Parts: sequence; structure tokens; C-alpha cells
Amino acid sequence: MPDLIGANGQREDFRVVGKPNIPGLTSYAMATGVAKYGADFAVPGMLFAKILRSPYAHARVVKIDAADALAIPGVTDVVLWDDPIWSEIEFNPIGGRRPSYLPSEAHQEGAEVGAVVVAESEALCDEALEALKIEWEVLPFIIDLKKGLSSEVPPIRGPEWDESGTYAPPSVTSDGHTWMAVHYPDDPPKAGNVSVTTKSEGDLDAGWAQADMILEYNVNLHDVVSLLPNPQASVAWWTDNMYKPGKTLRIEGAVGRRGAIATMYRLPDDNVIQEGVFQGGKYCDWGLRMAQEITPLLARRTGRPVRCCNTREENFDLCVNIRLASVKLGVTSEGLITAVEDDSIIDHGTPNSSEMTTYDRDWNGYYTLKCENIRQIYSIVDSNRGFMHTCGQFVPYSWDMLTIGIYLIAERLGRDPVDIARLNLHGPDSQKDTRLVPSFEACVEEGQRLMNWDWHPAGGRRLPDGRLHGASFRYQMCPRHSFLKYFTKLEYRGGVVHFPTQGPIAGWFGTECFTMIAAEELGIDFEDICVDYDYRAEHTDEAGGSDGVTGHGWVVKECANILKKKILEAAAREAQETTSRFGPMEFPKPPSPLTGYTAEELDIMDGRVFVKADPEKFVPFAQATAETITADYGGHSPKSAWATGFGRKLDTMNTSWCEVAVDEETGEVEILKYLVVADVGKVIRRTSLESQIDQVVFFSQGCQLMEEYILDPETGVKLNGNMLDYRRPTTLDVPVVDKEILELRSGDGAYGASGIAHNLANSHLIVTAIHNAVGVWVDPPATPDRVLKALGKCEREGGNQ
Amino acid sequence: METTRAGASLKSAGEQAAAALAAMPRRPEVIRCPICKRQCLSFEELSEHYAAEHPDSVAPTAVTLNVNGLNCSLIIEPHLTLKQVLQLHLGLTGAKEMCDRGACGSCTVIMDGNPALSCNILASECEGRSIETIEMVAVMPKWRPLIDEYCKWDAMQCGYCTPGYLMAAKALLDRNPSPTEYEIREALSGNICICGTQPRHSQAILEAVSRMAKGETINA
Repeated sequence: MPDLIGANGQREDFRVVGKPNIPGLTSYAMATGVAKYGADFAVPGMLFAKILRSPYAHARVVKIDAADALAIPGVTDVVLWDDPIWSEIEFNPIGGRRPSYLPSEAHQEGAEVGAVVVAESEALCDEALEALKIEWEVLPFIIDLKKGLSSEVPPIRGPEWDESGTYAPPSVTSDGHTWMAVHYPDDPPKAGNVSVTTKSEGDLDAGWAQADMILEYNVNLHDVVSLLPNPQASVAWWTDNMYKPGKTLRIEGAVGRRGAIATMYRLPDDNVIQEGVFQGGKYCDWGLRMAQEITPLLARRTGRPVRCCNTREENFDLCVNIRLASVKLGVTSEGLITAVEDDSIIDHGTPNSSEMTTYDRDWNGYYTLKCENIRQIYSIVDSNRGFMHTCGQFVPYSWDMLTIGIYLIAERLGRDPVDIARLNLHGPDSQKDTRLVPSFEACVEEGQRLMNWDWHPAGGRRLPDGRLHGASFRYQMCPRHSFLKYFTKLEYRGGVVHFPTQGPIAGWFGTECFTMIAAEELGIDFEDICVDYDYRAEHTDEAGGSDGVTGHGWVVKECANILKKKILEAAAREAQETTSRFGPMEFPKPPSPLTGYTAEELDIMDGRVFVKADPEKFVPFAQATAETITADYGGHSPKSAWATGFGRKLDTMNTSWCEVAVDEETGEVEILKYLVVADVGKVIRRTSLESQIDQVVFFSQGCQLMEEYILDPETGVKLNGNMLDYRRPTTLDVPVVDKEILELRSGDGAYGASGIAHNLANSHLIVTAIHNAVGVWVDPPATPDRVLKALGKCEREGGNQ
Repeated sequence: METTRAGASLKSAGEQAAAALAAMPRRPEVIRCPICKRQCLSFEELSEHYAAEHPDSVAPTAVTLNVNGLNCSLIIEPHLTLKQVLQLHLGLTGAKEMCDRGACGSCTVIMDGNPALSCNILASECEGRSIETIEMVAVMPKWRPLIDEYCKWDAMQCGYCTPGYLMAAKALLDRNPSPTEYEIREALSGNICICGTQPRHSQAILEAVSRMAKGETINA
């Protein structure tokens, strides 16, 4: 594997990388409204489509009479689930298989089921859907996971789901690391609605024997909803193309998924023309929605362009599933953890929900401990609560089970949780490594200083205004995507460096980071690189978030250095030429300032190709060579934190600190201070890095103080499946987030970068601070009524009790 | 293929917004029945066609909307929202639909000087009102510092809600050119960004206010 300037690089001086306040490449387009997202596309003469949604939590369509719907003027088509047309399309390779493309069985309220209507307007589609005479078979549902555990509850999901891929075998990386799996070969067969998976390491009995005390506690992670801002939509139509055999499909809105659409419609990639690069906020949400997949089918059937656009309610997918953890820790009198047992009940969601996030037993904080006696028993329950796409940006993983454990040990022993964390944290290289972790120590030193950290036991401090003060602390490590194989191509053409990318533009400024890295390595300015957004380009920004960007950034760094080497070779070669040609004619060529020098004697800086020994001898970078030079590179950085096992390598760490004030009379919680001290290795693009920290705090605050997904226990339907009733923080709610960014350069991305941790997003840091204030646990969201109930000051709380 | 030369995009975005404004139809080029697509020569003929062929349906209505200073005569179905008419009849995509019920502010336009939620307003009720959209703001030199600071401070991530925030900010600055940080947060509290950029808007707006107070514009 090439490593032209080393995994971390020896570069100390940065001209471009790390600079703040450089506008994004497409920021002006987004700000001015000219950026077009899927729902913004409309073409003349298009039809509209809408999909029937289930009004029940679990139901099967037995029969649909569409005669009345088809009789409505302007309604052009009704396609039922048993129409043979659905066999004309393959399943999207990203998204999982199901028994049939348009199912007759719905596994949650709002699920797409049974019929699609096509009409001249959306209003007519609505009218047609209402006119369908549908015979439903309402089926039993599970929204209470504890009830779903019972063997007396009949299975809500038939065996066909096992065969169609729901319980896929674990994915294995090239390094042999297993990830993203719910069902492992050694696990027992699924029983009823429950799959049980167990991972046991070390010697639990020995761990319990070493302990001086046993701590047992519950952590309830509730479900959090919907990260997609923009309604998912597409418009598609078919054309003839004189240059290509067969029909060409044009699709607008299914951004970044040309290959998937081509596979679904059994077309060569080149027969799919995709418009648009703006995907909206899709943070590790890789799939398309049905509205984006079926428009080509309907366009082929009707012979006209067809648009299908979800509403907000139809996009109300889960991004975190419920996890109810019962944790047992063995602890010595010094505070050292000797054994961990985590027995969790976890929502499996509806079929084909993501297997990432809440229940991958390899991704959690336990492996940052010196303690190697760890058993995890996950009971994963099929449910009808909701569908979860993969949403890594906000994933707290299983981190806060450990955060609370460390806090409880500190409370029990009357010690600072920072000290308990330090005592239990293994060294940088492995669980057997007993050294201190430099990155952790640096973060903690800054955090304690900036917080004026003065730990007190629960209920131990009252503010001058009478409210109770609470504080909490949490650490995380950064799980980089760096085991994935990334690809980048750069081209020097006409004196300009081109960077072709398909995007998509989805909210993390990845292309900007890559452009900065390429400019840094090539010795030119950010503005000198021409980014070509082209859906046919191989480069994609799907390595989302700052950790993915830094991993992919390493590949861009390599590619830029390959290009630089080729440019210098071409410049040196051309400088030796004494003549130039124009067609058959040959002209004498004046000597170049670079004449007589080899490529190794040349360098590029500040837009010049110059002689290292004599920088006054130079040519402008744009005139370095008349050749078109291409460099491409695919691979990943030499070290990969995920591939080496989550948590077992601690090269770059983040810490979060929170102070709250709790009013015992009103139950109100105010965040007084929220500080993130993050060792990101090396800052690539400071402004978006800080923005991502704001983003994870927004998520963390929302899920702990406001957001609650409420289902009716009687019917299983959503009671607040919209943005009015499902509360999110606004500009008046969000706290000021203090950020201290450290650069210890020990990550494995470009220049030793690693980015911030996915699990900087958390589910219990604020809740832990509330406990530190009032001495009782309040399950999130800690709304005033819940706080008062926990304090014994009101009989019942709001929400779904 | 879209090509973006880094650093030149304020100009190109402004040009695209200007092109969108220039392409707004002042009157329908072709009058078609929204139900059966039959072509009619006039609104009166369409009304007669409705009465004869679609007597159970609510007939389209003729309205003149003043959008970005231009009077546009349209024939629209009466149930269409202002947001839908801006997109489907006038080709303006800057007002975005997110929540579809007035909870998120992404569809914000300015109507008679006040921020208004275009997804919650029937277009047929907007006759005689002055409607401003983000495309107009994008081409006005006065507001370039505001757009520029939004871009410099990454007061956006995926960008979908951003035009709505900018319109709320513009409405605030129209009536209060020197707002406090709290006044900014209060004015933007009707908008929701799911990417969590909420803390970043005040900084961008305060920087823009400072530049605008000095009379600074940006040569796009």
C-alpha cells in the first residue's frame, strides 16, 4: 500500500487545511434556494403517484376494489400488490429484500402496502386512495417490547422474512472483523418474536469473585425519530437515445443511486441519467424510499413522466431504536470494574430495519475498559413500532450504559467520575495496556480547566437562585470508517486541477474537506481546484461525517501526491524540449526556467512550479505542462480503528461535560454549560467540524429533554408523527456549546486526523447531570412533568403513560 | 453535469436565481384542464368545460399574484397552497416543503413585509398581496452579506431548511436592522433545522449586520 508521505504525514505547516470560514462549494446554491432536492423537481406533463399507507399497526390487505377510484376523472392508474408488473423490477441492492416488492402486509402504521395510484394531480391521488374499497385483516401487533418477549405472544412475522434476508449473516471485513450483525452462527434459533444473541469474553466468574461490590442498574434508551428534513421524492421518465441501444431512464431525485436504480430496472448504468446532487440530510441513511424507486416503473407503464413525493408523516422513520439495558458491574473497593454483564431488550423494528446502531454487540464502550470479563446478552424483539434506516451520525451506540456505570461507581465511592474513568480506561494499544491514554488525558485536562470542574455528590450543591446544580462527564473514542475502500480521481487538464465527484451533497461538507487536502498537497489554493459534480464520477462522498471524511481524506492525500509527482515529471520533461509542434509544423521553443532540472529537483507551492534550489526559477502552475494528467487511487489508511475492534485502540478521544440547573418547584431543567473537548487528531475544515458538534448536541439535547415518540397502546398507531407534536429544539432552546478542539495528530486519517466520535451524540449525559442535581433518575425525555414525578411531586406525567 | 468552481458560487447562485425569476411566466402559455388535460383557449372556456365535463369538481380560479415585484396571472386549482403554486406554476423552488403543517418554517416567504408560511396559505387568497421569495433576496446586492455570512459560518448542513431561515432573518432585519442576539434567536424560533445548525444562525446574522451597517456589499 503506498504511503507517499506517511499515514500521519510529517507536514507541520498548513496553508489550506484547518482554515475556518471558507464557504462550502455549494453553500451559495443551498442558501439562495437554487439547489434542487428530490421534491423540487417537476417536469411538464407529469403524472403524480401516491402509495397506499396502512392505517393499522399490523394488517394485511385481503382485497381491494379499485373500480370507484379508476372512475374518478383524472385518475389514470391503480396498481395493486398482486399485479405482475412488480416482478419487472429487482430489489434495490441497498435496502434488503422482502417477500414482494409492494407487500400486502403492513408492519407499522403508515407502511406502504397494497396499492399505488397514479393521477393528474396529488389531490386526485388522495381522492383515489380514499375511493379504494379495501378489505383489511387486522393482525396482532407488538409495541411493548417486554410483552413481546413472552413466548405466549404469537409471532408477528412469518418465516418468509428469515428467508428474504432480514436475518442476514454477519458482514466480515477484509481484516476478519465482524460487524453489523444481529444473528451470529452460534446463536440459538429465533423463538417466537425474539432473537437472542450472546457475546461472552473473559472469565465472568473470576470477575465477580474479584469484585468487592456488585452494582446493578437499568438504562432505558428510548426511540428517536426521523432525521430526514426533505420529503423523499423522484420524477422519472423514459426516452430514446440515438447513441445508446434500448431506452434511457431519466430520474431526478434518487440522488447518488444511479447504480441501484440501474440494477432495479436491469439497465446498464449508462442508460440511467440522474439529475441533481442535493440529497438532503441523509446521515448514513443509504437507502432509497419506495417513492424514489417506483417512478420509473410507473412512467414505463403510463408512457408519461411520473412524480412521487412522500409527505413528512410518510418520512417519519426511526433513527434510534429502543434499548432497555439491565447492567451488572463487579467493582473493587478502589472503583476498578472486574466484570460486566449487559442483559438488554432491544427493538428489532419492522422488517428490514437497520441492524446497526443499537444492537451491534461489537460497538460499545465496554471495550475501552481494562476489564476483559464482558458478557452481553441481547434479546432482540420484532415489533411494529417503526422502521429504522441506518443513521450513524446520531448514533450513541451503547455508550451510556458505561457512562452511567462510571457515574454510579463515583457516587458510591464518593469520588470524581473522571478519576473512575481514568482508573478503568485501558491503554492506547489494547485492553492489556495499562498506560494512560495521552488523548484522554489531554481532553480531561482542558475539560476540567474550562469547566472549573469541582465534583460534588448527588444533591450536593444549590445555586444562589435556589435551583439544584448537577454536573456530568463522559468520554468517547472515534470509530473511523477507515476500513472501507475509498476511491478518488484527480485530473490536471488545461492548467487546472479537476476533482470529479458524484457527490451526493448530504450535509457534511466532505467534498470541501477533500478539496482542501488536495490543494494542500498540490501547493495550490482551495479556489484553484475545480470540483466537477458529475453523477457518472466514481468518487462519492458517502463516507459520511467527520470520521468518514478523515478516512477518505487519507486516500485523497495519496491521490494528490500521485498527481503532483506526475505533474512534476511532465513539467521537467517538457522543459527539456527545444521545439513545440502545432500539427505538422514544428517551432523552436524558448528555454523554460525549469530547463535542466529533474522532477525530483522541482516542487509546487503558491501556484508555482519552482526549482527547489532556486525558487526564483518557476513557471505558473497553470503552465506546468500542456499534458492532461490523471491520477487515481483507491484504498484505505494502514490502521483502522473499526477493523481492529471497536474501543480496543484508543488513539483519539473526545470528552463531553454538562452542567444543569434543576428547579424542584417547576421541574424545569436548564443546561448551564455544555462543553465538548475533542481530540480530532487534526482539523481539516474547522467550521463544519464545529457545526457537527452543534449537530450532535442538538440531537443529545432533543432526545434527553424533549423528543418522545408516542404510540397509542390500544392501537399501535403514532400519536405524534409530525413535526408539530414531536418537539425538537429550536433556536430558543439550544444551549451554547463550548468547543475545545485538540490536535494530537494520532489518528489514522489524513495528517493524523480522526474526526469527532459518532457517539459524541449521547442519550444520557444530561440525564446523568440531572441525577447529580436531584439524586433521582429521570428517564429521558426529562420533561418538567417527568422530573416532578421522579421527585414525587406529581401523580402522573404527560406522554403515553 | 454540474460544474462548480470553488469560490465562484455566490455569483453563479445569484445568476441561477435571476434566471429563475426571469423564467417566471406572467400568464399561462397554455390553458389545460387539470383533470383531463384538454386544451382551452381562455379561462372562460375552461370554466365552461368544467361545468359541462366535471360538474362535481371545484373549478380552477384565475388569480394574479404579485411575486417578487412581478404580476403573474395564473389559472390554478383553488386548493393549491402558495408553496405549490410557487413551485409548480412559477418554477421557484426556494421555498421548501418539510413539515407540511406550518411547524418548521422551511417554506417561509415574506408577504406584505411579514414572514409567512407558504405551505399553510392558499394561493387563491394571496391576490393583492406582495410576496417575496428567496430568489429575489439572492439577487439583491443589499442582502449578499447575509447570504455570504451564512455560507462562511456553515449555518447550514444539508441546506434544505436554509432558505426558510434566511427569509425569517431578512424579515427581521427589514424591521430591525440592529437586532440583539436574543432577538435573532426569537425571530428564528419558528424554523427547524434537523441537521442541528440552530446555534450557528445568530453568529452569521450578527456578522452580516455588522457588514451591512458599514454599507458593505459583495461584488458577486
